[in-house]
Amino acid sequence: MTRWRKGSRGSWVGIALTALVAIPAVFASAVAPYNPFAIAGPPLAPPSGTHLMGTDALGRDLFSSVVHGARTSLMVGVGVTVPAACIGLIVGMTAGYVGGWVDGALMRVTEFIQIIPRFFLAIVVLAIFGDGYRNLVFVLAISSWPVIGRAIRSQVLVIRELPYVEAARMLGARTPRVLRREVLPSMWPTLSVMSALLVADVILIEASLSFLGLGDPNRASWGRLASDAQQYLRSAWWLALFPGCAIVVAVMGVNLIVDRSSVSATGDREMMRSQAAPSS
Amino acid sequence: MNRGYVVRRLWQTLPMLFGVVVIGFLLVHMAPGDPVLALAGENGDAAYYAAMRERYGLDRSLVDQLGTYLSRLARGDLGSSAIQKQPVSSVIFSRLPNTLLLAGSALVLSSVIGVVAGVWAGANQDGPRDRLISSITLLLYAVPGFWLGQLAILWFGLRWGWFPVQGRTDARSDATGLAHLLDVAHHLALPMLVLASQQIAVVGRLTRAGLIVELAEPHIDAGRARGVPERRILFRHALPASLLPVMTVIGNRVGHLVSGAVVVEIVFGWPGIGRLLVTSTTDRDIPVLLGLFLLIGFAVLIANLITDVAYHRLDPRIRVGQRS
Amino acid sequence: MIVSSCSSDDDATVTSDAVSSASDTVDDTTTPDPTTPDPTTPDPTTPDTTTPDTAPAETTAAPADTQPTETASDGGTLVVAISEDPGQYNPALTTSGSVHTASELMYNGLVSYDEDFAPQPDLALSWDVEEDGALYRFHLRDDVVWHDGTRFTSADVKYTFENVLTEFHSRTTASVGSVLVSIDTPDETTAEFRFSEPYAPLLQQLDVTEAPILPAHIFEGSDPQENPANLEPIGTGPFMFSSRTPDEELVLVKNPDYFKEGLPILDEVVMRVIPDEGSQVLALESGEVDWLWGVPGPDLERLSSDGNYGTLNTLVNPGGANCIMTIGFNLDRPALQDVRVRRAVAHGLDRQAFLDRVEFGQGNVATAPISSGIPTAYSSDLDLPGFDVDEAARLLDEAGWVRDGDGIRTAQGVDGVEDGTALTIGVHLFPNFAPYGELMKAMLLEVGVEVEVNALERATMVEEVFTERNFDTTVISYCNGTDPEIGIRRMYVSSNIAPIPFSNAAGYVNPEVDALFDEARQTVDPEARKAIYRTLQEILVEELPYLWLVETTSTRIFTSECSGFRAFGHFAEAASCQRE
Repeated sequence: MTRWRKGSRGSWVGIALTALVAIPAVFASAVAPYNPFAIAGPPLAPPSGTHLMGTDALGRDLFSSVVHGARTSLMVGVGVTVPAACIGLIVGMTAGYVGGWVDGALMRVTEFIQIIPRFFLAIVVLAIFGDGYRNLVFVLAISSWPVIGRAIRSQVLVIRELPYVEAARMLGARTPRVLRREVLPSMWPTLSVMSALLVADVILIEASLSFLGLGDPNRASWGRLASDAQQYLRSAWWLALFPGCAIVVAVMGVNLIVDRSSVSATGDREMMRSQAAPSS
Repeated sequence: MNRGYVVRRLWQTLPMLFGVVVIGFLLVHMAPGDPVLALAGENGDAAYYAAMRERYGLDRSLVDQLGTYLSRLARGDLGSSAIQKQPVSSVIFSRLPNTLLLAGSALVLSSVIGVVAGVWAGANQDGPRDRLISSITLLLYAVPGFWLGQLAILWFGLRWGWFPVQGRTDARSDATGLAHLLDVAHHLALPMLVLASQQIAVVGRLTRAGLIVELAEPHIDAGRARGVPERRILFRHALPASLLPVMTVIGNRVGHLVSGAVVVEIVFGWPGIGRLLVTSTTDRDIPVLLGLFLLIGFAVLIANLITDVAYHRLDPRIRVGQRS
Repeated sequence: MIVSSCSSDDDATVTSDAVSSASDTVDDTTTPDPTTPDPTTPDPTTPDTTTPDTAPAETTAAPADTQPTETASDGGTLVVAISEDPGQYNPALTTSGSVHTASELMYNGLVSYDEDFAPQPDLALSWDVEEDGALYRFHLRDDVVWHDGTRFTSADVKYTFENVLTEFHSRTTASVGSVLVSIDTPDETTAEFRFSEPYAPLLQQLDVTEAPILPAHIFEGSDPQENPANLEPIGTGPFMFSSRTPDEELVLVKNPDYFKEGLPILDEVVMRVIPDEGSQVLALESGEVDWLWGVPGPDLERLSSDGNYGTLNTLVNPGGANCIMTIGFNLDRPALQDVRVRRAVAHGLDRQAFLDRVEFGQGNVATAPISSGIPTAYSSDLDLPGFDVDEAARLLDEAGWVRDGDGIRTAQGVDGVEDGTALTIGVHLFPNFAPYGELMKAMLLEVGVEVEVNALERATMVEEVFTERNFDTTVISYCNGTDPEIGIRRMYVSSNIAPIPFSNAAGYVNPEVDALFDEARQTVDPEARKAIYRTLQEILVEELPYLWLVETTSTRIFTSECSGFRAFGHFAEAASCQRE
């Protein structure tokens, strides 16, 4: 089980970094000085007072794009994570608590989905069915829930043997009720840690897909900005630097929060094991 | 170790692979876009395309095509790539060694560096070394691979000229023997480092976390109280126990290494299967794409199996045959 | 030494998107429409070589003559970056740009083209055109041997055309194949092409790109698609196949028996596969490769002012010449049926910005439906709608698309459109053209039109646009070729609205236009023919089924240690590299 250790410097840095990207994401329209898709100035202008992060080749304001990109990245992250967490939670709790053939069957399904690496699947699906965000969110959610499901299941395996759960069961409470009242609350730490890491992973995956030309040109996203900038590495450094840093800050921020809290998890190897697995 | 367990697990992989192939087949065939265009060029007339479709069996029903594919597969025939005019097996296996070299060396490198860094950091929890290592590994983890790759080329390749920036060998040299090996190693260095960097972060962080947990166990305190030297506690007691989950993770990350190899192979012009995946996807080279599904699925399943077997063998607390 | 400095602003750069890879950049090339082509000019061997001022044909470095200049006997190795390993190297089987880029040095056509696309002797020494262009007699060289030592004869020409080019090479199949009756070979050095009717464009379709000649003695009796020589080619070209490592490199060596005296000079050409164009530039700069087919715009200016690189600016992409980036309006869509809306889009777009910001100055703003690279048909003084936001807004208001403040316009009394529908226009394009869509989005935002960019991989894009017709607008690089019959007719005639890639995307139907194209095809007199194309262009500019944005050119770049290149065809035939 996970306890949040208070006062750790790392987690405060993490929270600060995460806030740095989350707040502009939420208030994107208010923070961004320009429409990220409009021509706002001369092409490839370096950072200045009018354009804090410079402009791109089409003359669009990079700062506005980065701010709106924060929203896109977080929306995709959340869009993938919420369904993945829900499915993972349900499957993991059912498998862990019910056990028996149900467990066996569900675990076979999760193993099956994990055979083909997420990134691999995403490349094929996006290249074939188009690179819109719905496809991206769909394919990543479908392929991401097993990681969460397995972590939840192993947590449940421990918790179901704890005295208070057994007590509830012996008092005649029915399974759904036990799951909801006694087991579910203990799942939040694991679930939140796994979900946060998934958001970070999705941001990185989206960036790599954009590099392969599979990003959605109708959205400003960090991944697309950073990968488009590759051809300007030496002629317009700002184009790669700022979106790249935004990705790094967001991913580090989330990981710092989670890193510190998972250190205080006492001996839960399965937790760590699955924590490392999301990227695969 | 129970041989029956391994055999049973191997058998279990067969239906899994079958499922992967069927789903992969349906996926690529349901896709919009006509594979005949990639096959035949884009300037033909309708009759020409119809003839080409017939030639490649693209005019038959999906079930029919799937049946043909599976029955050939059962005989070990992966089909042949109409675009490359070669059997799929030779298309894939001519590139596979390069990816194995890249991903394998990155796996070894990242495991070694990751564990060393993790131990170094974990043994000095919250000390300056820990801070430094944790920050570096986290940074490496958070940087997108293509970005890291391009920066590595700019600095190590162009500015300092330490490494070549693309390819597997020098285009102008016909070196053989040892000189050839050195040439390949020289070309391998940068892509390997870039691919390893994210794994280093994961392995390092896990080792560190595991070690810290292990060092807090009561029996470690007891050992310390009895005057067992700190080094001995670290390397004999805490580390082995904490490495078990790390090992599992390394095994589970084979799929991720292959994924990472896609981007690295493109940035560094490394002729491996990651690149093959991208080109065969855009070219709609369906037989190759299905062959890759099968290969990757197989690799991931085998890696999981090896990891599990090793895990069971090393950890006496786990009974063989128990489902994990 | 051929080192150029890109001094003027105009010949600065190419975007990555325009040239990047051998296969991906060519969006299409010349497709005659599926109906049978008719006679055009009876003597097509003398194209007008005068180039108008607006033509983008300037080469910043003069291509080498076929005669080598001062050269040492040791020509060295040239390393060429290619974006993709095509997997097979038989250019007669396909129009794929990546196959042709990798393989053309190993083969020859009957003719080759000079910088003005005029046919020059290659395997054929000379030719007679008889019966108004229904009979072509080629006199072949008698001193050509295949790479395996067998002599080249007219039987090779006959076999290649009859069994391969008109079966598999989609462009040649659709054009030459539809009218070719027979090829007679009265002797070993004569090949007579007989057509069912006068066929004018033939001499524009006989180079190594359109009609590479294969060795009959290798291919005869086999399935050409499965022949092992597709992987280890035997040709007549200046370079011979040496070895191949899949996805890595293709090594070609000098053909010591090449029929052109003193050529080739290079000992070896290594085609190196580097998929990422950014990495290609880095490899050029680190000295690992010598030649790139194109350079991302932002890098070109830096590299060409560096002094260590030479450039060649050309109208030829690896699959077509005289390409115009063109917006096609789907005329089946109610909103786009109104010419005022199309005209408003034209007024809303600053074409100069596409040239400057997307192509980095590489090319010209298009001023007519026909490329300025076809002086026999191009009209220079047409009145294409200029950049005028107010006029765009006025036209949209008039067409019933009303705007509330700065928002997106909505329909009010537009035929076939429900009131209140937002004016959202999708644009279908290949991923490498996404910046065109993004700039459209940015500029049309100003006039209250929302643009949705749909970047689709090739196969999907072609199906959506040409088969399903499920699109609003599309941006395509329509390559005009060297004659309107080849690459322009197909875009406009109503008979070519078909599930064929790069056909009449707009779905444009105008009987008058159909008739004019037919008339032009049968008109022999150049002046009269040009006048017909003039009328045609006036109609097209008036009706705007398409909008012509930018005539793109592309830039080859090479290390100044090497010289003697041509921009297309046998680009390295006369090249040499001198290294310290």
